[in-house]
Amino acid sequence: MSKLRLITLALVVAIVLGSFGMALAQDTTELSLWVFVDRHGLYMQNAAERWNEAHPDRPIEIVYEQIDYTQMHDNLLASLLVGMGAPDLADVEIKKFATFTKGDIQFLPLNEVIDPYREEIIESRLAPYTANGNNYGIDYHLGAFVMYYNTGILEEAGVDVDSITTWDDYIAAGQQVTRDADGDGEIDVYMASIEVTDIFSAYALMLMNGGGTYSADGEIILESEANIEALQFLQDLVHVHGIARPASGGGHHSPDHFIDLVEGRIASLWMPQWYMTRYPDNMASALADVAVVRPMPVFEEGGYTTTMGGGTGTAITNQIDPDKIALAAEFLTFAKLTYDANVLLWTDLGFDPMRLDVYDDEALLITMSDFSGEMPFIHIKAGLGNVAPEYTGPFYPEMATIFQTTGLYDLIENQMDPAEVLANAAEELRAMGAEF
Amino acid sequence: MLDIVKLSHRYITWFLHHKKVVPLVFLAPFLIVFLVFKVYPVILAIIMSFQNFQGIKSQDWVGFTNYENVFELVRFSQALTNTTVYTIGTLLVLIPLPLVLAVLLDSGRVIASTVFRVLIFLPALTSLVVAGTVFRLILAKDGFLNLFLEGALGMDRLRWLEVSELALPSLILIATWRWTGMNILYFNSGLVNIPSELYESAAIDGASPWQMFLRITLPMLRPTTFFVVVLSIIGGYQVFVEPFILYAGGAGPGDGGLTLALLIYRTAFTSFNFGTAAAMGVILALIIFIFSLIQFRFFGVLGGED
Repeated sequence: MSKLRLITLALVVAIVLGSFGMALAQDTTELSLWVFVDRHGLYMQNAAERWNEAHPDRPIEIVYEQIDYTQMHDNLLASLLVGMGAPDLADVEIKKFATFTKGDIQFLPLNEVIDPYREEIIESRLAPYTANGNNYGIDYHLGAFVMYYNTGILEEAGVDVDSITTWDDYIAAGQQVTRDADGDGEIDVYMASIEVTDIFSAYALMLMNGGGTYSADGEIILESEANIEALQFLQDLVHVHGIARPASGGGHHSPDHFIDLVEGRIASLWMPQWYMTRYPDNMASALADVAVVRPMPVFEEGGYTTTMGGGTGTAITNQIDPDKIALAAEFLTFAKLTYDANVLLWTDLGFDPMRLDVYDDEALLITMSDFSGEMPFIHIKAGLGNVAPEYTGPFYPEMATIFQTTGLYDLIENQMDPAEVLANAAEELRAMGAEF
Repeated sequence: MLDIVKLSHRYITWFLHHKKVVPLVFLAPFLIVFLVFKVYPVILAIIMSFQNFQGIKSQDWVGFTNYENVFELVRFSQALTNTTVYTIGTLLVLIPLPLVLAVLLDSGRVIASTVFRVLIFLPALTSLVVAGTVFRLILAKDGFLNLFLEGALGMDRLRWLEVSELALPSLILIATWRWTGMNILYFNSGLVNIPSELYESAAIDGASPWQMFLRITLPMLRPTTFFVVVLSIIGGYQVFVEPFILYAGGAGPGDGGLTLALLIYRTAFTSFNFGTAAAMGVILALIIFIFSLIQFRFFGVLGGED
């Protein structure tokens, strides 16, 4: 009798505990996330919905907070420094990432969860978020450079956008396009605008010419011949060929620059693919009938056809509840590295995927009303023949700051010799403790 | 029950009559906030300036290395120069202009002077984030300022936001917009304290308004002027928000708007080198301290000449 009672009791306990356990398992795991681009937060929330459909036993809820770019990174740095207040997941922009890798890294390595996908993804896209052989972040997109044209301006000047394939073609077309439209003796339509307070215009040329900031083995290669040539080319576009001018306000995100674009004063510019989102977001689709994207012009046949620009890696901070780590890491790869996620990256978020095997998927062939009703993906894909990799290192943020503040200003405004610009930057980096 | 009331009444009476405790209790909210959020960080910054504090790891003592590093940085001298020029610029504008405006507003010859006072003071309360965006549009090549200068003075359009030489003038312009009202308020409170008998007897003696301004208003405003100058110098050397907002986290073209506070911020949050940043902070504090001391002597506040 007592045995029976014991068994009954054990059964009851097992059932109660079991159902309790099941209830626990079905409890939604909340993951906090900091982003500085609202689109990223929305994308991750959508990904969580898809995850919940696929894994009803392990539901997730993404609670994201969008904070201004600078403030978000500062807050993250401060909360990691004091050891409390950081979110579970955080977006870290490429120019900021190296800052977080100084000292003891406060992010969790993601190598193991990335391993199954290494074959498919463009490996060098992981490089910016890697330190000491550990991958600490997964990007949202590839960020391949493309050329953005205003076909209205080009056609008025008699230029066929598809005839431009090399930089020589681009310069020739630019000389037709650049003109004084209102006849006041001042040139008011330029072929190109370039950034002097941000790095994109310059870095694209440096990387596509085989240069860059860091080599694959982590050496600083700032003063390379390839970089000098690239910066000379940029300077010549402005001062020798006269077809480019610094963007109003200094960069391609300045409000007065957007006004220039909308008013038809700039015929083209090169920026990473994600700049496409600025057309609806910052220019209210005002250029929907004339905007197109095309592959970057090339320096020479067989050379690099494009490179990558910018990027944001999502990392898991070490302040996450240890019980959530495995789930968070798996979710991160589900949201960003799986085949379906990469298709949705384009169709939902409007960003170019970083998995090469999805590039043949017909689901990506959608028309976009913001880009003359074309299928921009065809042109993005066409440009991916030979992607110049970008490597970063511990002084990447300082380099970007030098280029953004004095480097490009000296090059373009003060017409300083490119070799001197790069030598100055190198000298300043050495003063900060960089060894090369 | 009655005993308890009596007892507590006695304690309250004791407390209220205790001249040493009461002030401390009433000052406590301020003192606690001051100690925790001002004094403690200052001590911490001084300690940090002698440590190798790069990234997140245990720190070791490095003596004056951080201070040596500061003087090796090319940007430091540039930032120091920029900040000094900015401070002098704000002094040249933000002392005479509010002084004259305050006297005018106080003279009773301005109609609806309260409306003007409010309008001039409003910028001090406006969010600088909003103001930064508005100023970017005002200072743009086709912006309001250029259109005004072109229309009114026939000047060529200037590239306020794009050339480094115009970065500091742009910042001084924003400072003028922001602080004129505040300084008027200070001068106004000084003016109120000048006895009207002085003006009356001067008027009887046949003094012109200009003479009264020179011989009565200016000398009597000396303590206020001193106060405003000290505040302006401290504010000038600490300037951070204006360039930070105007140049979206940068320091303007060619670092033309790079100030000491911005460089400290950049060193701490871009290079993650809190040690060197703290050393710069200590140097900045010393500069402000020395300037304040010189002024105390110059205005005779410490010597008690007045």
